[in-house]
Amino acid sequence: MATKSNFKRAVPAGRSPNPLAALRNTQLVDSKAVLPAELIDTILDYLPVPDMLRFARTSKRMREMVYDDTRWIRRLKSMGCWSDVEARQRFEEGMRRKLEAQRAREAEEARRTGLGVNGGVNGAAGEADPARKVSITLFDAGQEEEILQSSQERPPGRHRASTLEKGFDEMTLSSASTAPGPPIAHIRDPNVALTVLSRVRSIRGMARQEYGKVYGALAPYYFDLAKSQSHTDPILFRTYRDPDQQAQMLAQLKIFAKSDFSEGWNFREEKLNTMIGIFENAVLHEFEQGLQQKDYDGRVKRYAYVLVTLNGGSAGIDTYIHNHPVMTEKEQLGNPTDCLRHATPGHISLAPSQEFFRRLATTLQEEAAIIDRVFPPSVDVLSPFLDRVAEDIISEYLTSLLDAAHDASIETYLKAVAGLFDQSVQLALSLKPTKGSKGDFQEQTMRIIAQCFEPHIDLYLQEELEFFKSKAEAQVDTWEKRLTEEEESTETYFMSNISRQAAKRDFLTSFKKVVMMPVNVLPTIGGSNATKSSQPVPASNGEALDVPSRASTPLPDGMASPRPLEAPTTELAAKAAIMNSRLEGIRSLFSIEVALDLIHQAKASLERAARFVRLGGQSGEEAREQCENIFILLLQILGNRHIKPGFDRAVSHLSAYKPREVANHNTQGVAPLVAFLELVNVGDLIQQMVDVFYVQELVQPHLTDRDDFLSPACKEKKRFEQMLDERVAAGLNKGIDVLMDEVEFICGTTQQPTDYNPAPGVVDIGPSQTAKKIVEMVSSHTSMLVGSTDKNVLDVFNQEVGLRLFTALCKHLKRQRISVDGAVMLISDMNAYNAYVQTLRNKSLSQYFAALRELSQIYLIAPDHAKEIATIIADSGRYHGIFRAEEVYEYAERRADWYQIRGAVEKQMYGVGCAVM
Amino acid sequence: MASTDQQPKSQQKLILTTSDDHDIEVDRDVAERSILIKNLLDDFGPDAEIDKIPIPNVNEAVMKKVIEWCTHHRGDPPASQDDDTDNRKKSTDIDEWDQKFMQVDQEMLFEIILAANYLDIKALLDVGCKTVANMIKGKSPEEIRKTFNIQNDFTPEEEDQIRRENEWAEDR
Repeated sequence: MATKSNFKRAVPAGRSPNPLAALRNTQLVDSKAVLPAELIDTILDYLPVPDMLRFARTSKRMREMVYDDTRWIRRLKSMGCWSDVEARQRFEEGMRRKLEAQRAREAEEARRTGLGVNGGVNGAAGEADPARKVSITLFDAGQEEEILQSSQERPPGRHRASTLEKGFDEMTLSSASTAPGPPIAHIRDPNVALTVLSRVRSIRGMARQEYGKVYGALAPYYFDLAKSQSHTDPILFRTYRDPDQQAQMLAQLKIFAKSDFSEGWNFREEKLNTMIGIFENAVLHEFEQGLQQKDYDGRVKRYAYVLVTLNGGSAGIDTYIHNHPVMTEKEQLGNPTDCLRHATPGHISLAPSQEFFRRLATTLQEEAAIIDRVFPPSVDVLSPFLDRVAEDIISEYLTSLLDAAHDASIETYLKAVAGLFDQSVQLALSLKPTKGSKGDFQEQTMRIIAQCFEPHIDLYLQEELEFFKSKAEAQVDTWEKRLTEEEESTETYFMSNISRQAAKRDFLTSFKKVVMMPVNVLPTIGGSNATKSSQPVPASNGEALDVPSRASTPLPDGMASPRPLEAPTTELAAKAAIMNSRLEGIRSLFSIEVALDLIHQAKASLERAARFVRLGGQSGEEAREQCENIFILLLQILGNRHIKPGFDRAVSHLSAYKPREVANHNTQGVAPLVAFLELVNVGDLIQQMVDVFYVQELVQPHLTDRDDFLSPACKEKKRFEQMLDERVAAGLNKGIDVLMDEVEFICGTTQQPTDYNPAPGVVDIGPSQTAKKIVEMVSSHTSMLVGSTDKNVLDVFNQEVGLRLFTALCKHLKRQRISVDGAVMLISDMNAYNAYVQTLRNKSLSQYFAALRELSQIYLIAPDHAKEIATIIADSGRYHGIFRAEEVYEYAERRADWYQIRGAVEKQMYGVGCAVM
Repeated sequence: MASTDQQPKSQQKLILTTSDDHDIEVDRDVAERSILIKNLLDDFGPDAEIDKIPIPNVNEAVMKKVIEWCTHHRGDPPASQDDDTDNRKKSTDIDEWDQKFMQVDQEMLFEIILAANYLDIKALLDVGCKTVANMIKGKSPEEIRKTFNIQNDFTPEEEDQIRRENEWAEDR
């Protein structure tokens, strides 16, 4: 024994570890062995396993080639039983253990070389040990038996070795001694064979042994099955009586067949598949019968498990779904046309569909419970079941209902699509995943629902846009038509004294509140639907919004009809009415009502369409685009069809205004200008409404990106605002002209010659009537713009108004004759103008008016102080460079006593030189 | 010889010189079943004047046999180069003609395999290996040794040990 072991060790030590080199040696020795290693290797690949192992017995080189680990790993891999990761972990674990054990082993080394036989067990872990690398012959049945015995008997002489061995046993996760154990007895045990594939371990250097275990367990059945003539023949069915075990074995054989490389494999595999088919059919038959008898916990469950074990159970699931009562009795869930039958034209009653979805949800929940009971958690039955339900039941229901609705009217159709979608989503959300469902169950159900709606979405989105367009245009048209009818009736302009900004802010808050309200309040499906479903669904709130606001439109006689107020629109409706009565003055131009209605409609459409954005993917993207389109359309109709003509009309009113032709100047303002300024206010209000709408409906639900300057909605909004600004600017331009015309008219008509040149003795302190009027008029107009236009526009406007006022006043002044007594009043007037201009907070304007005030002082100086007058005229610093001395001189000419003092003043001004002369 | 200009490949002739100095004329497409020769020709380019191709590892008898096989299989689709990376390399049955073709003495069989290996004719190599595999099938180790002239370097104990190690595969 000892000599043999020495010999065995001596040879590997003297030889290169390279098997190819070893083969080269072979060729030298053997006279006829002509085939090189790689060819033998190829030939081995074609050999059946038993022949290959017999081949291994011919010589050491052949054994090495046959035993080569990669060959066996390949077979394990072909069955999907080899994990490189696990192998590496084991190897590293082994290395660590080995290091720990190394010292002990070195101490034993001498004795152990003598024993030799233990090499096998150590080799299992000791692959890194070069000295042992050659002896991979660890799977020695006789040896194992011996070891087993020894560990049981524990003879004193081997005590040390067996403890060591124990250590290695632990290392290889399950024990090395049980697995290789007395292999035949172990493997032949039918119960062990049942799970042999799942017990395969990935250990480097042990692949052959692992494969051996699988082969030993499965090959007999496999080859027997391939040889058998009928389904009663195979030992497999005789060894295992339980269908569950039979299925398990068949499934294992199917995997095992993949490692069968040798000739005739296709025949064997075919045979195996036929057997599996026969078996599956028999089981399916039992399964179906169980289903028919509704024996869920008994036969159905039992055979469901068998089918799943056999091949994942897809056939069983198919049968289960296909024969399910829901599929065959779908008419009982609800009739799609019910929704239309009970509703008024243009509306749709969603209660029947609600009922339909509720019943479906209940059924599905019951179903999920049964699936949990019947099927093992490893298979996902609910998802394919849902797929089928969606395809066969939901889609059908949707299609027939929507087709009917489409035939009825577009509005019905639109409401139906949105409502049904919501209900379907509710359904999807109400479903509970079964144990077998995957983690993304919710997404999956959503996807299934989305698929149901896929075919309708395109048509829906298109119709939605069309519908909104036609509705909006119709609204504007009706309004315009009514307007032309009213044109003849007297236009009374009304101007409110109430703080516009506060009113507007108030109005906007209510508007925001309403915008934030969802259009359709839909009852939920599921647990909490009992309370809600009683609530009438037919009319969506979008509709409810329309009713009161339309009723509140001011009638031509200015009386608002009493309107039925409903939450939550009441507040807005009331505010809208108030606004309207305040803005009556401009109702011939455009109506905030119409704007509000349009926005409501856009909101309804948008919210219906926005639901579908949730679908994601292409349809979601399309829905998003359509939402933007609705918004764009809203802006275009609102802007181009409604606001722009209004502004244009207002501007033309303005340019047509001739103050001298208007008889009645009792009102405080210039009528068309007031109207126009109100218009600017309303325009601004509408623009703010649009902005709120944009933020609420498009930005917050992420329908569009506010910062994306390329987004069409964003661009259109900019264009809309720009259009508004342009109109306002054009109008203001005209407005200033009108305002100045009015100023001049007031100056011309109300300024009495006695104002600045009173009869001696009557001195009236305080600004004249004219000045008061002008200040009042101008300031009322300018203040109207505060808060409604852009600050820059307002500044420019104020500056322009100021400058024009200044010129007008200068012109006016030059037409007057001013006495010293009258100068007091003039100065008061100038102070009044100046005080007003100060409120505009415009520095350069203030300078102009300050200069004017300074200028007016030249009239106050008594005629005998000609020298002082001359000084003041020449002192250009006084006027901030606004008046040149010559100009001041011209003003001085307007003194009532000018001709008396002229000589003296001129003498003072130019006369020094003359005097010398 | 190989006036390559307008002739289709099947018309072109090549001359192969075997190890024992015999010249064999073959059609070019037949010769190109050998990837070795095909690559060689491709390397020279289409216009090269190729006189004779020496095949130093194959003698005339074997070469003739190989050409016989190539001629019979000249119409086969070219073997895909990388199908053996698949670890599920399953053997298919040898067709009848090939079976007959392989009915030669063992020495010739090995020579054909070696030649196929050298000339890189994968299909022929496969057929050869399968034939050898079939020869091994069902034989005892002693018979295999005899057939392949393998020297037994095991002691009877060692041999028995291997047998016991692999009992799982034997018993069926």
